[in-house]
Amino acid sequence: MKNTIKHIITICLVILSLHSFSQTKELKGYKIDGDEIVFTFDKRDYKRASKTLPFFGKFKNFEDIDIKSVGVSGNFNNWSMKNWKMKKVSENIYELRKKINNFSNNFTWEFKFVVNEYYWAEPSKKDINSIPASKDGRPLYVYNLKLFTSLHKENGNAKFKLKGYPNAKKVILSGTFNKWDERVFQMKKQGDDWVLNLELKPDIYEYKFIVDGDWISDPDNKNFKDNEHGTKNSILNISKKVTFNLYDCKEANEVILCGSFNNWNEDEIKMSKTQKGWTFSMLLKSGKHHYKYIVDGNWITDPFNSVKEFDENGNINSVIMIK
Amino acid sequence: MKKENNIKILLTLIIILVHSCYLFASKKDDITFPNSKYLNEHTVRIPLKIVDHLLIIEAQIQNKKGNFIFDTGSETLILNSVHFPIKYKPLKKKGTTSGVLNTLDNPVEKRLKEFNLKHFSLKNKSSDVINLSHIEKSKKIKILGIIGYNILKDYEIFIDLYLNQITLTKVDKKGNKLFNKVYAEKIADSVSFKLKKHTIVVHSNVNGENLRFGLDTGAEYNQLNKNLNKKVYKLFLPKKRLMLQGASSKKIEVMSGTLIKLKLSETVFVGPMKTMITNLSKMNNAFGTNLDGIIGYEFLKRKRTIINYKKEKLYFINNPKFRM
Repeated sequence: MKNTIKHIITICLVILSLHSFSQTKELKGYKIDGDEIVFTFDKRDYKRASKTLPFFGKFKNFEDIDIKSVGVSGNFNNWSMKNWKMKKVSENIYELRKKINNFSNNFTWEFKFVVNEYYWAEPSKKDINSIPASKDGRPLYVYNLKLFTSLHKENGNAKFKLKGYPNAKKVILSGTFNKWDERVFQMKKQGDDWVLNLELKPDIYEYKFIVDGDWISDPDNKNFKDNEHGTKNSILNISKKVTFNLYDCKEANEVILCGSFNNWNEDEIKMSKTQKGWTFSMLLKSGKHHYKYIVDGNWITDPFNSVKEFDENGNINSVIMIK
Repeated sequence: MKKENNIKILLTLIIILVHSCYLFASKKDDITFPNSKYLNEHTVRIPLKIVDHLLIIEAQIQNKKGNFIFDTGSETLILNSVHFPIKYKPLKKKGTTSGVLNTLDNPVEKRLKEFNLKHFSLKNKSSDVINLSHIEKSKKIKILGIIGYNILKDYEIFIDLYLNQITLTKVDKKGNKLFNKVYAEKIADSVSFKLKKHTIVVHSNVNGENLRFGLDTGAEYNQLNKNLNKKVYKLFLPKKRLMLQGASSKKIEVMSGTLIKLKLSETVFVGPMKTMITNLSKMNNAFGTNLDGIIGYEFLKRKRTIINYKKEKLYFINNPKFRM
């Protein structure tokens, strides 16, 4: 009897470990190549397909389908079954390239492949970027594939680093840039630390690390915000390099740039004279900044920027938006 | 003389009592906008987050601070029952919320004693208490509620998707701003609209055909009613036949594409805009409107728009031509 129990436990453990190891680590269905998203369909990756209406819910063996065409369908094309046709690049593989700029950063993109404009190629729940499909909060009992436009880039402008945790098995980076996904953004081990670089648009992002299942805020980041779980989210504000140009006032002796970004300091930023006028480049955090030029002691708004606002005292300032 | 004094004291006491009750009440139901800039006692600039195509602002009510959807398509202030449990029995049932909420059942009305925007307050506003967890799940953010028409109608509202902010300025009964130094940029143009209940109906023209469009800040996509005059669809470039609901058991074949040009007046044009052709009859029935289309995020992205409900006018400020 005891032996039977032992056997059952062993078998269960084996099944469990097989299940956890069998999870694919590669993102399914697409890759990012430079400034393009390359949708990639390999027919060997799919075991079953579901039909469109009226037989939804019944599955067909994928091998039984004579593939004539493959398309990409997702919320980026309002689930078109007929439009985004893929090119056959080898016997088993189809591809479609799209510019990454067409996909805004802050949208949750989900997609599937459509075969013969009729069958949905069903992803497996084991695929790392699969997500249960739902409609208005109701489960559909199938999976979609998730697409992330945040770029993993060696020289990305957002460098995430978690110091320590040398014994951790897996560290995930989760935040507003990936809609708090808990699986895909796996950090890489570098010595005792964990690192991941992303290319993000200027904005304010919230994030946390998931260390072997435990959510922690970034211990080396003092900017944080309370969240609804009673813990703290770390905050990252991505900056952008901008150049202020005043193509005017060539006769002036000195032009100072000042604004909300330097607390309206009247001495700090002296602009450089060029053939066209005056210039200055600097890194600015995401968001709205008020500024003005002081030309030989006279405060002026930027004559080349139509965006202006009143401040609390009724003064008019020029406005630059970093996003 | 003594009697008069006594009456004065009594009156003073009553005033103090009433005032303190009022203060107590307002403390409970105040809504304020943290992280916003109050230009003066009548004007506030509220930073705007755009999540997918929804406009989200941060506000605080009943000591809870968080995200609210900014939705002119909603008739009332809506509180999410997940975060504001219903303490009372329903006063009445309503069914007139739209936009992101068109699938809701039985919203329950809850009366707020006061809606307060720092120095000035709006009293006796009603709010619906509804479960909004499906939006929270799909957008992956905590949503405390939806700020709708009954909160906004006493303000002039500048929705600026270039500077990602909303400016609210208190107006008088005629719609005149109580403070003038609000916009430093020029108003480039304006068009009139008709207010049908809470819906902003703009008379516009597509390819010579006069159409009625509803402006709804909660509409993530523009919509064009099907069965319009064929002339209209000549300015609509269909891109694909859509299965709107994705891998859902309730698929609707609709057409998505681009509306090339929408003419709001002789001088105000907008387009091309991503638009879907759909059936608006259910919504028209619910709202008592007769709309040929809905314009929302896609429109606001292209037009920095000011809404004045009292004057029934939309004003536009140009996007900058030169960007650093």
